[in-house]
Amino acid sequence: MNKPLILVVEDDAPIRNLMTTTLKTHDYRYLVADCGEAALREAATSNPDIMLLDLGLPDLDGVEVIRRVRSWSDMPIIVISARSEDADKIEALDSGADDYLTKPFSVEELLARLRVTQRRLAAMHTSGSPVFTNGQLTIDFAAGCAFLDGKELHLTPIEYKLLCLMAHNCGKVLTHTYITQKVWGTSWENDVASLRVFMATLRKKLESAPGSPQYIQTHIGVGYRMMKIE
Amino acid sequence: MAQQTQPHDLRAQMIPRWQDLLVTALILAAGTVIGNIFWQFAFTKANIISVFVLGTLLTSLFTKSYFCGVFSSVASVLLFNFFFTEPRLTLHAYEKGYPFTIAIMLIVSIITVTLAIQNIRNIEEKERAALLAKNEQLRADLLRAISHDLRTPLTSISGNAANLLANDAKLDEEARHQIALDIYDDSIWLINLVENLLSITRIEDGRMNLRLSTELVGEVIEEALRHTNRQNCRHNIRVDLPDELLLARMDARLIVQVLINLVDNAIKYTPDGSTITVAARQQDHFAVLSVTDDGPGIAPARQAHVFEMFYTGEHKVADSRRSLGLGLALCKGIVDAHGGTITLTDNTPHGCVFTFTVPLGEVTLHE
Repeated sequence: MNKPLILVVEDDAPIRNLMTTTLKTHDYRYLVADCGEAALREAATSNPDIMLLDLGLPDLDGVEVIRRVRSWSDMPIIVISARSEDADKIEALDSGADDYLTKPFSVEELLARLRVTQRRLAAMHTSGSPVFTNGQLTIDFAAGCAFLDGKELHLTPIEYKLLCLMAHNCGKVLTHTYITQKVWGTSWENDVASLRVFMATLRKKLESAPGSPQYIQTHIGVGYRMMKIE
Repeated sequence: MAQQTQPHDLRAQMIPRWQDLLVTALILAAGTVIGNIFWQFAFTKANIISVFVLGTLLTSLFTKSYFCGVFSSVASVLLFNFFFTEPRLTLHAYEKGYPFTIAIMLIVSIITVTLAIQNIRNIEEKERAALLAKNEQLRADLLRAISHDLRTPLTSISGNAANLLANDAKLDEEARHQIALDIYDDSIWLINLVENLLSITRIEDGRMNLRLSTELVGEVIEEALRHTNRQNCRHNIRVDLPDELLLARMDARLIVQVLINLVDNAIKYTPDGSTITVAARQQDHFAVLSVTDDGPGIAPARQAHVFEMFYTGEHKVADSRRSLGLGLALCKGIVDAHGGTITLTDNTPHGCVFTFTVPLGEVTLHE
């Protein structure tokens, strides 16, 4: 696969160096920007494939950068934040970010997130097809049924709705609020608790080893993500 | 803290609770009955007045309310006038000295009430100040212990990095690798410390700010295990969950921190190849979570102290990594704040079992 072009937006020089060194040693092409305005300029002129965006920029709020980019582009955005508060991540995700990393993060974590996003990019080109395939999982949207390893999954209507929602956004972290809004139309405290239960029963039917889930990843306090399996 | 409670105090002064009114009425009634007994035995009026003043004092002590105190003062005067002055059972008074007696009685009562309430206020304020001082002390101890223990890993990181910068060419591959490994290990240690400190800063005024939600215990355990230092360890980590879904009310981030601390401790204090089991089950209205290891265990004499802050035992940790004695104290703080308990018991034939409880959660499912 052709290595994608990554736009690194980070005002702190040592962290920027850490990221560019990591990208360089793994043969990624990259651009850098040290503030929000420069990031928007680079994003518009150089058309990068993925943006790595620090939320704490000197000029613009990172969430503002996401909103502006989203007004004209679907490029995957991975948010990097030193704030450990979940609210910030959720705001960024709900504004259109695809994934997040919390400082301090490890080099392996950064590379793993990039790989996930690349797979998502590759899958985006084949979207719109009536059949979704991911690893052993197949969803036939037209027929309204899902198969695992060729065998039909017996899902309740809510479980099927959840599975389809995750599949349509494969590779992307979906917040609790987003999912409950899509499935129930509301997002009360009880809806989020219900979501956990339905997600658990869905995963029981989907995952062969519940201890190390393959398809659906939990992000405590944030949401869920369907992993793209190669 | 003081500002928060003041409006409440003010309200308590102005609008008495019904319990306070009941206490006031009871004390007044008792005063009247005792006064009546004194009257039967032909005691002097001064004795009866003393009984009423005492009643007023008791009222202000028990109700802690200005309103009840002042009400009691006025009512005492009226009751005294009604029952114990000639002519009895009227509010008239014939004797010349009575207006004077009654005025003195009112003044004494009201001053008594004011002094008593001020005294109570002072005591409460002192208690608040003592709690504040205790928290300050805790924070100061924490800061001292941390500043001291931060020096070691920071010295190692900066020294090793300086070595790499200055002597890069002279060092062989293996030495460079070792230096990088040391820098990595020490920074990971610092990262874990910072995570714990962030949780501790959420303890305010001796209480923890919890953000409660209904969580699946299985998901929480899964998340915690993702963050433990298990990449570099040669331990068998097993998870033992019940078949039915277990929901609990908790601050997920803090309970994840508890599990991380317990599992990391188990990894740190047991030899390679040991088995660590993270289990969960339901018991009455609680979810019971446990972290069990089959390591050497903890001597009974030390078991009583493991949850104390800055207690590090006399362990010689295999990798000579320092321990602040914060982890388990924080675990206890978090579990206590949830209304649960945390205990340490012995595993058979050897090892430790750390068990803690959190209240169960409920959910109504709508399909």
